[in-house]
Amino acid sequence: MDALDALERRIGELRAQVRRAVKARETVLARALRGELRRAEQAWDDALCASEPQDPAAAAGLSPVPAGAPGDPASMDGPGAGAPWVPASTGEPGAPGSAGGRGAGQGQWPGQGQGQGQGQGGGRVTALVPVRERVHQALGLLGVPASPRLVVAVHEAFFAGGLRGPQFTSLRRDEERSFRASPYARPYYLCAALTERLSAARGLLAVSTWPLERRIVGPLGPRVDFLTGAERVAEHLIRLTGTGERPVAAASRLLTRMARNIPGATAGTGDTAPADPAAVIRAARAELLVHLPADSGCRASAATRASRRLGDAERLFGAATLSDAARKGA
Amino acid sequence: MSVLAALARLRAVREGRAQPVATVRHCHVAERPLVFIPLTLAGEAAAPLAAMVGTDPDAPRLLVVPQPRDRDLRFAFAAELAEVLLPYVEGFGKATETVERRNAEPYERCSDAPQIMVPNAQAAAFTGLLGRSTRFRRAEGPHAVHPSVPFLGRWLTYFADRAKYPGSSLLLTATDALGLHWATGQSGLEDANLAALMGWIDPPPGLTGPRAAQEAEDPLIWPPAGPATDPGFDNEVLAPAIDAYTRGPSPRAVERIREALRGQLEPTWRLMWRAAELLRALPAGASVAQRWDADRGSFTDFLGRMAEETPPQPRRDGAVAAASRLARMERAHAAFDVQRAYDDPLVMAEYRLTGEAFAGRVAAADPGHAEGEGRSRKLRPLVTVETADPVRLAPGTVLGTPDRRGQEAEVVAAGDGSVTIKITKGMGRGRTPAPGAVPEVGERVCYSSLTGDFQAAAALPEPELTPWTHGGPPPEYVPRDEDASEEWS
Amino acid sequence: MDLLDTLRGPVPPLAHDARAIAALAANPGCARRAVLDAAGVDKDLTARHLGFPAPFGQSRFAITRGNAFEDLVKDNGCAELLRLLRDLLGLPIPQVGYHDVAQVGAHLRHSHTRALIDRAARDSDDAGTFYDHPLLSLEIAGHVSYLEPDVVAFRLGGRFHIVEIKSFAMIDGQAEPAKVAAAARQAAVYVLALRRLLEDLGHDPGRVSHEVVLVCPENFANRPAAALVDVRRELAMLRRQLTRMTRVEEIVSGLPPGITFDLVRDDAGRPARPVAELTEAIGTVPARYAPECLSTCDLCLFCRDEARACGSTDQLGRQVRDQLGGVAGIAEALALAEGAGRPADGQEEIAGLLRLADRLRAECLTAEPLAGARLEALEGAR
Repeated sequence: MDALDALERRIGELRAQVRRAVKARETVLARALRGELRRAEQAWDDALCASEPQDPAAAAGLSPVPAGAPGDPASMDGPGAGAPWVPASTGEPGAPGSAGGRGAGQGQWPGQGQGQGQGQGGGRVTALVPVRERVHQALGLLGVPASPRLVVAVHEAFFAGGLRGPQFTSLRRDEERSFRASPYARPYYLCAALTERLSAARGLLAVSTWPLERRIVGPLGPRVDFLTGAERVAEHLIRLTGTGERPVAAASRLLTRMARNIPGATAGTGDTAPADPAAVIRAARAELLVHLPADSGCRASAATRASRRLGDAERLFGAATLSDAARKGA
Repeated sequence: MSVLAALARLRAVREGRAQPVATVRHCHVAERPLVFIPLTLAGEAAAPLAAMVGTDPDAPRLLVVPQPRDRDLRFAFAAELAEVLLPYVEGFGKATETVERRNAEPYERCSDAPQIMVPNAQAAAFTGLLGRSTRFRRAEGPHAVHPSVPFLGRWLTYFADRAKYPGSSLLLTATDALGLHWATGQSGLEDANLAALMGWIDPPPGLTGPRAAQEAEDPLIWPPAGPATDPGFDNEVLAPAIDAYTRGPSPRAVERIREALRGQLEPTWRLMWRAAELLRALPAGASVAQRWDADRGSFTDFLGRMAEETPPQPRRDGAVAAASRLARMERAHAAFDVQRAYDDPLVMAEYRLTGEAFAGRVAAADPGHAEGEGRSRKLRPLVTVETADPVRLAPGTVLGTPDRRGQEAEVVAAGDGSVTIKITKGMGRGRTPAPGAVPEVGERVCYSSLTGDFQAAAALPEPELTPWTHGGPPPEYVPRDEDASEEWS
Repeated sequence: MDLLDTLRGPVPPLAHDARAIAALAANPGCARRAVLDAAGVDKDLTARHLGFPAPFGQSRFAITRGNAFEDLVKDNGCAELLRLLRDLLGLPIPQVGYHDVAQVGAHLRHSHTRALIDRAARDSDDAGTFYDHPLLSLEIAGHVSYLEPDVVAFRLGGRFHIVEIKSFAMIDGQAEPAKVAAAARQAAVYVLALRRLLEDLGHDPGRVSHEVVLVCPENFANRPAAALVDVRRELAMLRRQLTRMTRVEEIVSGLPPGITFDLVRDDAGRPARPVAELTEAIGTVPARYAPECLSTCDLCLFCRDEARACGSTDQLGRQVRDQLGGVAGIAEALALAEGAGRPADGQEEIAGLLRLADRLRAECLTAEPLAGARLEALEGAR
């Protein structure tokens, strides 16, 4: 045990040094020290394992694995765009989706609950479907522009799940690059929603095959899209139960969460019980009726302007804003 | 804060060490307290991260939530805490004593009661929050938890509520208890850091108080006593360890988190026991036992309610319950102030400073002085006290004295370094005073306008008669399914 | 403001956020803080260079949680916030318009905010209900600070409301008072900035409500709940402090010529100014240290050290200071208590009290205890 003791002392010292360095904003030093710390911790881990027989059962006992976690093949055979089991080779080389496999090779422990979609990598199965394909599935279901967070939630509710926020960072840029290199080479592109000023709306993803009006987001757009999305989620739940499928709990949770923010949608069920899809549809449509006239007008006029003024790429990915232009000029 | 306490702080600065502000102990310190040091995850309302808990200084139990955002692991933590806390608490139900009462049935009271010690006010508040987040849970149904969890919740709620009751020692907050007895050479704000406070009171060998307090402010030397952890520790140590656990929850990953948290908790664990020792070493004030009796009575009462499986404490008190609670607290507060002053000349000195009390030697006494004739003749001894204190008491003011607590007196005349008083109560029915009942010439005495005769209980309606202006009679609290399934995320 | 530029040195002034401005109001008597802030000096870096790094830090967990909660409230065009405002203020169903001010480039955000607020104030039909990521400004001691409230809500009875999203919990209708108070102080800064904007645009500043909407997670879940918080008191305090800040010029003009707090940064941006020299320069502007500074000011440990070194009673907190009624030094107060010093004019009363306190302490800590001896004997006589 001497080696372990010595390592523990070393680890303690290093931690203190790291924190001193961080406090003093010595970032380079802190980084180096952190590296050393990780190595020491690794060595400690190794030494510990060498010193006692492994007992994987104890591990499972210490860490309850949520049942029905995403990545569970049982929830995979959902409907939607194409077969979800697209092998990795059909994805573009270098597509962001290939980053999904980080979790592979860590399976020394049984049941290493990487559930809830927050774990590193959605596991073995989902890595096979490229990220853009998965985003497309979710957007297809919603039928309206959506934020990455909503896309993640929808995918977790109805598809294989395992999408993570960070995977979205370069998605739109990659799609734009691909489109500009060889326009319309792919059957669809994940593109931008457009503001009234025809620039790309912040933080929203859309699909290139949608009519332009659907991609316009004016002042009422976020609300209309939210209500429409809730309606689509509810319809999909009804379809699933109609065909005898048992939707995963995450789907019902998603609908309930959306329903709470629609007046009258939870009237029959209360705020904590799962929402009734039919009631959600009724409530969402009722509020939509209020907003649609003004919203449609705004969408139509912006769409007309966009098709008159913008080139193909700008129409999909947004007109350059003044600040973009300024940046390019600099 | 009085000039007296301010002066003690000035002295502490000069001496480099904390100065006493009490000559006796004003809280009960159990023989076997349960020390409880909780840590929470930064940014969350009540996400337990870890706790060090136990009754044996040499055998702390470390409880850890390796992923504090995981609801199941939180409840596992609560169940584990219950495993330590419930047997300790319920163990005190085994031995009872019969208490005789005048004009009422005798009743059974536990011979001793549990005492939980937490480091600071935030830890006491967290105890309440943890109680609030667990007491409504159920052992069956869709969000079932371990059966011990709701019981833990009710007990924690009870202890946290009782801690707000002035003079109660069932849940003892170390910084408050120490602050009642010592003044440091730093500000009250800085006293909230247990290690710094202890540094002033009991510096390690070779260190002055200020030096020890300064070291205590370095989280690398003295990790904070919680419940908030040091941000540097969070970012550099805890976050990577939790990330590693999330990637692969192996025993190694759990062990890494446990070790990290043990290092954060152990220094405070030792401090807590040292604090208990320091407090215990002070002689107990005369009223401490009486207040502990009240604590034992309250505990016995709640133990009985737990046995009858009454519903958990409601989320909020009704109007009448809240008002009567407030009234009770105010009375307890007044009583606590009086008792401390009567038990402790250094506390009484604060009242002497403001002229509400005085002490001195008896210059003259007329023990046989009486008023009235025949049957209504009553002994009203007169005593004149010479004092250097700045007395600000009008004639007729009712006085009490720590030396003869059953007596009452009133001011006859005050001025020019002497006060004449008349003893008006507690003289008995005899024609002459009992030996020792009237102070003799030359004796040192102390009298104060501070008396135990505080406000009577406010006349409040029964809960079912709550006026509509105050919401009408409260519906009896019935736990709902929603309470049991409330999210804890 | 040439003098202030000289004080700061050849670097751009540090911008204040609402928290920093709210903290100004926390210790208005501190000339040091007023001058350093007015000059836009980087106090954090200064404190670190002086060898007294600020004792603050933010946990990664807290930051993550705070951001996640704000996202939750604002997601899908502020869907959660909309629900809350419909419940809390009876916002009518058609009022859902959402404007993300950040849709324009960063350098245009302020002017865009102005334009949008102006349009809203004119009550044009397309006025929105939510203005997300607005950028307001407030002039403090001659230079402008830019402020980012979480959301500005409009159309609630024709009035603007500041929405402040915080991730501390509201449990059974109650939140930690200290945190609510801090949020209120911060929100008051936004209210003031928005009022100034309306005034500037020729509208009635009274249309910005003094009631801010505080959004917090409810109980132990992540679900947002909202409450109205009246910030009139905080506003009044803030206004008062900002008026006082104009006196900064007076303080600055009274400083010895040539004084600067320049850190003399090297090419890598690291301060290279000799510490002793900087300490002396900062020492020319008097601080008014109070223990409360420990949670609000980057320079707190430096000033505390200074207060300790000169034996000031400030270090013991305002309560002690108040008790000592104007005696500023620890040694001085002790001398009065022990009869070793002659009270100055006006100190007679406190000197008397201190001497009495000293006698009482000595008596109680050395003499035989007074209490208790005959207690039992007398219980019977009663």
